[in-house]
Amino acid sequence: MDIIHENCGYCGTCVCVCPENVLELEENGLIIKNGCTECGNCAIVCPLGALIPEG
Amino acid sequence: MKKLKYDIIVVGGRIGGSTASLFASKSDVDVLMIEKRQEIGSPVQCAEGVTYSAFETLEMEPSERYVRTRVKGAHIHAPDGRKISYEGGIAQGLIIDRKIFDKELAIESAKAGTDIMLKTNVKDLIIKDHKVCGVVAKHLGKTIEIHSNVVIGADGVESNMARYAGIETYRDPKNIASCAQYELVGMDVDPEYLEFYFGSKIAPNGYLWIFPKGDGVANVGLGIRGTVDNAIDYLNRYVSKLDATPVELNIGGVPVSGPIEKTYTDGFLVVGDAAGQVDPITGGGIHTTISCARTAGEVAAESVKREDSSAQFLKDYQSKWRENIGKNLDKSVKYRNMADKLNDKDMNALAEFIETQDLKAISKISVLKFVGKHPNLMKILTEIL
Repeated sequence: MDIIHENCGYCGTCVCVCPENVLELEENGLIIKNGCTECGNCAIVCPLGALIPEG
Repeated sequence: MKKLKYDIIVVGGRIGGSTASLFASKSDVDVLMIEKRQEIGSPVQCAEGVTYSAFETLEMEPSERYVRTRVKGAHIHAPDGRKISYEGGIAQGLIIDRKIFDKELAIESAKAGTDIMLKTNVKDLIIKDHKVCGVVAKHLGKTIEIHSNVVIGADGVESNMARYAGIETYRDPKNIASCAQYELVGMDVDPEYLEFYFGSKIAPNGYLWIFPKGDGVANVGLGIRGTVDNAIDYLNRYVSKLDATPVELNIGGVPVSGPIEKTYTDGFLVVGDAAGQVDPITGGGIHTTISCARTAGEVAAESVKREDSSAQFLKDYQSKWRENIGKNLDKSVKYRNMADKLNDKDMNALAEFIETQDLKAISKISVLKFVGKHPNLMKILTEIL
């Protein structure tokens, strides 16, 4: 999953739909930790289109 | 310098956090509230409508400092443009400035004795012998351990606390309404009415709202589910037709699956959005969160006094909040499942039916006659009943 940082509004909606629990809203923005399975859940719920599946 | 041991730590400083910490502090225990951001109340992630009942629960009078308008009803717009008016009940309430309201609540909590830390990110929970007994927090690059008898997770939809405590908060994307909202200036709206627009073109599997804030200012937002386009795309499409200027953009997600199964464990409670304490039909969560967070604060304080913060004792929180709002939320989940099956045509038909009825005196026969003419609605009703 790619984060388009300039689109991210730091709302954290993506965090609760991540089955692997690899998304975290940190002080400086959203990060994806190791273990993303590209399930695409976060991209579906992101209000601003800040998450784009790889490839 | 803050202490490194408290009776209760509340993670999150919005409505859930401030209400829980306020009522815990009122019960005369030592409370710390930790907020990740540097400012309480910002950014807003809410349409800012609240019922009068929320203030009754808080035992507070609504203050003119944050009340923008008082609404007495709603106009509901079907996909074909048909309009239904509804007054009183859940359509009656206040439109507030959340930024000011959230901070006022935090001020009340602080006055009651709550210590508050800002710009502090809780990185983990301290767990000993399967019991939550504090947090690991980071503030300006420094990591600190703070111990407590109870931790209350009020950290919203991006909640990590519950997961750290072993409570599952994962949600299927179909149960999350993806929302975007502008605060617009130059809106020609009735200051006493909420507007709701339904339809697959405007807001698929959700709705668009206009909440008046007075003086031609209004929150115009929408929540959608299961779409390829993003919430902001739908919102921009709608707003481009208006001659109004935005002064704020808010975004966020609303859990509409109903409350999570278990909201407590040893030394830990979870409240608000993180616990799914949101009405699944309206997406409204202020009054439900305030009700549950008050209970959480009071039960946590009682557990401190009794020196028993085991799951066995804290279970009382879940029994009490379920008693207060559980039935309503369960009913709402059922209705939402039903509403999910309605297409634009069904909604138009429903609106047409309601338009011709005296709502206070709808007869069973007229409903049956109506449903008989609409096989899809009949099918949905039969599945639900």
